[in-house]
Amino acid sequence: MRAQTVQRLSMGFYVLLFFGYLFGPLIIMSATAFNSSSFPSVSPWDCVSGEWFKVLVKDDKLMTGLSNSLMIGAGVILAAVPIGLAGALVLSQLQRRARSIVYTITISPILVPGVVLGISTLIFWERIDRVVLGTEFFYDGFFLTIIGQSTFISAYTMLIFLARLQRFDTGLEEAALDLGATRVQVFRHILLPFLKPAIASAAVLAFLASFENYNTTVFTIVSESTLTTVLASKVRYGINPSISALAVIIIALTLLAALVHEQFKKHEARQKLKSEAIASGKEKSGSSPKGRPMRVPVMAMTTMAFVAMLGSVWMARAYDVDQCKVEVAHEKKKRSEGLTRQRIAEARARREQEKSLEEGSDALKANQAGRQYQNIFAPTNLGQQVDSGSGDDGASGAEAAVEANQAGRQYQNIFAPTNLGQQVDSASEND
Amino acid sequence: MISWLKQFSSRNGVGLSVYLLGTVTLWILVMIILPQLLMLDFSFRHNWHHMDPAKMGGPEDVYTLVNYHFLLYGSPNNPDPFNVVDVTVFFRTIIAAVFVTIFDLAICYPIAYYLAQVAKGARTRFMVLALIVPFWVNEILRAFAFRILFGEEGTLNAILLALGILNEPIDFIREDVALYAGLGYAYILLMIFPLYNAIESLDKNQIEAARDLGSSWLRIHRRVVIPFAKPGITSGCTMVFMLTAGALALPQIIGGPSSLWFTQIIYQWFNTGSNWPRGSAYAIVLLVVCIAFVFLVMRIFKVRIGEIGR
Repeated sequence: MRAQTVQRLSMGFYVLLFFGYLFGPLIIMSATAFNSSSFPSVSPWDCVSGEWFKVLVKDDKLMTGLSNSLMIGAGVILAAVPIGLAGALVLSQLQRRARSIVYTITISPILVPGVVLGISTLIFWERIDRVVLGTEFFYDGFFLTIIGQSTFISAYTMLIFLARLQRFDTGLEEAALDLGATRVQVFRHILLPFLKPAIASAAVLAFLASFENYNTTVFTIVSESTLTTVLASKVRYGINPSISALAVIIIALTLLAALVHEQFKKHEARQKLKSEAIASGKEKSGSSPKGRPMRVPVMAMTTMAFVAMLGSVWMARAYDVDQCKVEVAHEKKKRSEGLTRQRIAEARARREQEKSLEEGSDALKANQAGRQYQNIFAPTNLGQQVDSGSGDDGASGAEAAVEANQAGRQYQNIFAPTNLGQQVDSASEND
Repeated sequence: MISWLKQFSSRNGVGLSVYLLGTVTLWILVMIILPQLLMLDFSFRHNWHHMDPAKMGGPEDVYTLVNYHFLLYGSPNNPDPFNVVDVTVFFRTIIAAVFVTIFDLAICYPIAYYLAQVAKGARTRFMVLALIVPFWVNEILRAFAFRILFGEEGTLNAILLALGILNEPIDFIREDVALYAGLGYAYILLMIFPLYNAIESLDKNQIEAARDLGSSWLRIHRRVVIPFAKPGITSGCTMVFMLTAGALALPQIIGGPSSLWFTQIIYQWFNTGSNWPRGSAYAIVLLVVCIAFVFLVMRIFKVRIGEIGR
């Protein structure tokens, strides 16, 4: 039991840590959007301010990129949803062998690096232009990007349709056909309504995937720009918190979308439950068990919205960004002035210290010098001085004497009659 | 084939059949297969388009291995025995991608297991939502967040300095810590969901039986859960590995100034280098080696391709 508790606690801790890794960077980035410091950071917090949102809106490049991204996203929805739908419908009617081949081919763009997809799309259409048409008809950032992105986004949408089709009751189709409906009618009135939720989620997914794509887009966009390419070049060459402001907007939209999606699902589940209850003749009151789960995020969202509202009200009434900035600037100035003053004082102190040290050393030198001279002229030391001088001389004199001595000995030896024989001997030996 | 077409059109009606088959054929041929083949063709050509357009289609416009040769040996006056920069970057990219994959598997497995076997309805749904939401945020913005977090004047340094753990800030970006953390983060979702799908279909009774028979939890995972989840593990690892090796945005934004990712070299050949054939050759090498590596690993771990993605 004990071990189990420990295990559960450590698991909970790990889950917290994991979600900290997921959300921590996003939360910190969002916080930097509200700091007036021109470098995106939270640690030296200057002032709470919304100015980066204004900077963001005024950024023409980003806004052009954004509108291009929206257009391309719409184009990708128009291309990838029908392609994915067709792929799923064809796959569901193929025999096993053919099915696995087609499945592998159509799924492969998900695994192929986006860089490769972008390059191959670019080369292919450039070739078609140059070799087949002789114009620059297809060499257009929008067209190439929509095609390049749709190549793999269609695979995503196809997976969504396949998942939905697995739950399709073919009996419905057969019944309609038996009742005399044409193929087109069956498709329009049976299959499409059944696939409607899948179409919606495929469209959302296609848009999101297109909106955030970079690897493929950066090759196919040619001379145009999308939000991601503008952002990437901005982030690479100097950063400021207006990008964080954009992130705040995107995160807020995402949370909102997630919330709406959950509410919608909850509503759907409740509806289903209700119809089931009616069908079985039972009346069920109270909230459905599936309605409960989202209470926590809903509450969190409401709290967040509330805090944001309070914050903005407070900011509007009691808080003046400019004044705060002035204060912070003043404080910084004061701090830096203080720092300079301190530095000046330090420098002065150091200089003085050096000076006094220098003086001291001068005195010391003088002292030593004086002692030297003193020593020279000190009668008691005179003898020593001379002694040591003579000692030195003695040393060199001794060497000279030794040399002279040796030389003398050599000559002496030559002329020494006792040595003559030896010399001759040695000479004769040399011979 | 023709009988199949007849059957298909009688099942779907002529109009619908044309839409279905036409669309799928265009998708497979014009968007997937032909561009890849043309890229392969392109990688075996000289760069006449940018150097000397007049020679295009002329007698000198022949197939050549010069681009692949360049990747291996560099320019003719390269003093080294092989192209040190590109080859080193290539292998570093592959090895780093392997480590990022292992890291992702290690951190995602407990979460996937928790989601699939431990957590109950309400919490599961909330956690799944919390997993998905961060990945709706743009990749570039996520990279930007890591830059704020790991920069030399970033939050992490500020915290570590304030706590007194560090005396001097560490440049996590130069040390590539930011890059690996960012890459690990970027593909968490692609690891968790295959794992989750695989583990979820495991019958709880099997785990309980193993526990009743006295297995430790480590043994349960090693002998029951992991063998069962192998297809999920493989497909998660495959996706994370391929996408990490092919990542471009993150290395560009939070990669250290001295370390390149192989995709960045490809990008350079296309943009500043103006040598599309060479860039294509590099891209082909990346693609082929990555696929070969994935097959090799699957061979080692005895997973068949058919098991992936089910």
